[in-house]
Amino acid sequence: MEYRTVLTTCTYCGCGCGLYLEVMDGRLVGTIPCKTNPVNEGKLCVKGWNVHEFVQSPKRLTRPLLRKNRELTPVSWDEALDFTAARLREIKEAHGSDSIAFLASAKVTNEENYLIQKFARAAVGTNNVDHCARL
Amino acid sequence: MDDKIKMKVQELLQSGKIKGFLGLRERHGQVGPYLFTDGDDLEGLVVGDRFKPGDSRYPLNKQLMKITRGDPSGCYGVLVRGCDERGLKTLFGSGQIKSEQVVPVGIACPQDLADACECLKPYPDERVAGEAAEPRSFATVAKVEAMELDERFRLWLAEFSKCIKCYGCRNICPMCYCSECTLENKDFGDIGSLPAENPVFHLTRAIHMAGRCIDCGLCNEVCPADIPLRTLYKKIADIVEEEFHCRPGYGSPETPPGLNIRGEELKH
Amino acid sequence: MTNSIGELEDADCIVVIGSNTTSSHPLVATRIFRAKQKGAKVVVADPRRIQLVHKADLHVQHNLGTDVALINGIMHVILARGWHNQAFVDERTEGFEEFRKVMEQYTPERVSEITGVSVDDICTIADWYAHARAGSLVYCMGITQHTTGVDNVKSLANLSMLTGHIGRESTGVNPLRGQNNVQGACDMGGLPNVYPGYQAVNVPANQEKFEAAWNGKLSDKVGLTIPGMLEGLAEGSVRALFVVGENPMMSDPDIHHVEKALRNAELLVVQDIFLTPTTAFAHVVLPGASFAEKDGTFTNTERRVQRVRRAIAPVGESRADWEIIQDLSNRFGYPMEYDSPAAILEEVSRLTPSYGGITFERLEGDGLCWPCPTPDHPGTKFLHQGRFSRGLGLFHAIEYKPPAEVVDADYPFWLTTGRIHVHYHTGTMTRNSPSLEKEMPEGFLEMNPEDALALGVKRGDAVKVASRRGEMVIRVDVTTRIRRGTVFVPFHFIESCANILTNPAYDPIAKIPEYKVCAVALQKAA
Repeated sequence: MEYRTVLTTCTYCGCGCGLYLEVMDGRLVGTIPCKTNPVNEGKLCVKGWNVHEFVQSPKRLTRPLLRKNRELTPVSWDEALDFTAARLREIKEAHGSDSIAFLASAKVTNEENYLIQKFARAAVGTNNVDHCARL
Repeated sequence: MDDKIKMKVQELLQSGKIKGFLGLRERHGQVGPYLFTDGDDLEGLVVGDRFKPGDSRYPLNKQLMKITRGDPSGCYGVLVRGCDERGLKTLFGSGQIKSEQVVPVGIACPQDLADACECLKPYPDERVAGEAAEPRSFATVAKVEAMELDERFRLWLAEFSKCIKCYGCRNICPMCYCSECTLENKDFGDIGSLPAENPVFHLTRAIHMAGRCIDCGLCNEVCPADIPLRTLYKKIADIVEEEFHCRPGYGSPETPPGLNIRGEELKH
Repeated sequence: MTNSIGELEDADCIVVIGSNTTSSHPLVATRIFRAKQKGAKVVVADPRRIQLVHKADLHVQHNLGTDVALINGIMHVILARGWHNQAFVDERTEGFEEFRKVMEQYTPERVSEITGVSVDDICTIADWYAHARAGSLVYCMGITQHTTGVDNVKSLANLSMLTGHIGRESTGVNPLRGQNNVQGACDMGGLPNVYPGYQAVNVPANQEKFEAAWNGKLSDKVGLTIPGMLEGLAEGSVRALFVVGENPMMSDPDIHHVEKALRNAELLVVQDIFLTPTTAFAHVVLPGASFAEKDGTFTNTERRVQRVRRAIAPVGESRADWEIIQDLSNRFGYPMEYDSPAAILEEVSRLTPSYGGITFERLEGDGLCWPCPTPDHPGTKFLHQGRFSRGLGLFHAIEYKPPAEVVDADYPFWLTTGRIHVHYHTGTMTRNSPSLEKEMPEGFLEMNPEDALALGVKRGDAVKVASRRGEMVIRVDVTTRIRRGTVFVPFHFIESCANILTNPAYDPIAKIPEYKVCAVALQKAA
């Protein structure tokens, strides 16, 4: 039996509460608020207390999907990414960089947002990058 | 204080008597619960007095319940203060943790923590570190009791009206282990409302603390609305003592008549 | 936020406007409760009797979309009675005279007429806030999600400058950011007009800097915002949309219009952790990893950059979003070779002055609040001390404008939308969390008892609610939390999706939709 606690930051609202995820044998089994975090000082809201729950939902997406014959069909990463890269290149060549748009995300990390906009701007060549800041 | 605990834990781990020690560790610049499994690596082991005594205590017994259930044959060490020891005794008594699976490593609380907690017994019976501080009586309860009845009622209604219904008081509580919780039962209150249905939610929980609350005060510390829950539960414990002549966790692990409800039975 | 969350505790007057703090930012509400405990005056301006009202010294229910009028009215009183901070105005601001002239028009009597707030209450707010030692303004989407969103924010900035409640501990203009990393997504350049660190894309020096760093030609043309992208998809100028962790089929106004746009996409790629209403139209769905499965950083509402740490391996074949993008970029023909999020953050700090001193190592402990320009900079607790970013603070003379849609005989009820405490945004995560879903499995429409009586409905009955965009059936919660003539619907539930009804009218500058006001008709459902 392996039991670990991993210090991280809540993924719900903008408060940014510090919490420990409890991991037992590779599975999340609970959430404990971090007492010494300056934002939440050992407190959490109902969402924070349950933040581990959705992670291992049986409904999580576990494989890339590609629409084939109108159905989203599980495929390999290679197939999904090759298809996406090829289509983006075709559309860029046919209609120009600004015919492609990107929604970055308030849910993913800073590093990931940085890469998304870098990909849009430097690789695809468009400033069509936005996210749900207003929503 | 940390050193004495460290030496004891090292000895326990190296002797193979325990598979792990559930204590506190300062990592990434924060203090949190941690299961130490290597006697040679106890770096960062602390007892939870970061900026002031007891400021980084965690519900270790609650985690111990998970760990011992996940490994029903393993024996684990756990850091205990006076309140944690009371908790362990009560959890042994109600069959939630098997005593043979636990080696408590005791630490007495300093006087200022005992004062702040108004603790009747700020030390465990067996301790590795710390000196037994003087017990303190429940001044906060006396203060509320000095109020007129309707003033008291207004006070609690006002406090409960801040409740953001995080369930943190229940979630942090090392003595809350029911598989089905009355607080989530639609027949007892308006589940989705905010604040939690006032005063039903908090009074329901207070009644459920009878015969259970070991006065660790974690509920108070976890409350985002700073509701003085500990004062309420202290009073419940006083009533239980008056009526049944016992306080959970004091004396023998046996629970008194009338309150001898085991976790298994609660499921039915 | 100009100031940090903890500082709120020591403000002695807090005005909360357009924020249901206990539901949407519970750990900020903690500090407001504490300030109150320490004797602060708490004012809540909100059309609903939200929970914070129980602890407020004053609650005003201004008419939907009349924030500018209300704030102008408060400033009129402050100016008329000479309660403003003339020294601060002289030393730190410009544009005061023009501003003052406009404010003269907003007498409390006229403002009372527009907002429905009494003259006395307007004067009381002015008195408490102007005379506070440390006055703090707290707001959320109730201020921004209007066609006058930018005007609303500027008006709050005016109020803080007029009284000098900015640039000091426990004061400030404090927007509560709705999502865990919405601040970070903005900081990282997830916006059409700026590179990371708010460096404008149409300033040649910035373009050159990033062209050199990224080794490629960049566009100097400001890109499209979400409404522009949807419009582009609808009319064919935009052909492909790549969506990471967003759900426009629920989050955007006028869902029927969004659907038309998404159906028109030649390529819709959605990278997410669950199937969502948006993936229904996707050609490719890429499974990302959740926050618990990867390393990185989030930036919270007080600009605090904190670590996210991997607790478990990615579920199934899912992969961290940065790995997916990197892999895709390499296949697309633009090489990326980061070995970790730490390596990406190193590049961010090289190119982003406000993140200049931020590294994974330095984030151990309490994290760092930007601006943190150098490796030895301790981070910045509150902004605008001694000087504003632009030098002098600029007063904006702002006139009140009514919302884009107002009630009439056909659509006689005001509709406003928002969050509830158990759920989050489009529910992708919370509705897949059994404890949360159990607590609140269904949406509802809040209606005042008098309206309910007139419509002949009681709690739990179904009503049909219709706007000019669409209609739906939803159960009623009869409550005095909402006043007569206004109804409220939370936007988390696909089964009763509030954004079928909302108005896709936008603030002309920020392009934020007017989620907080539209007109609807109600009728008892069979």
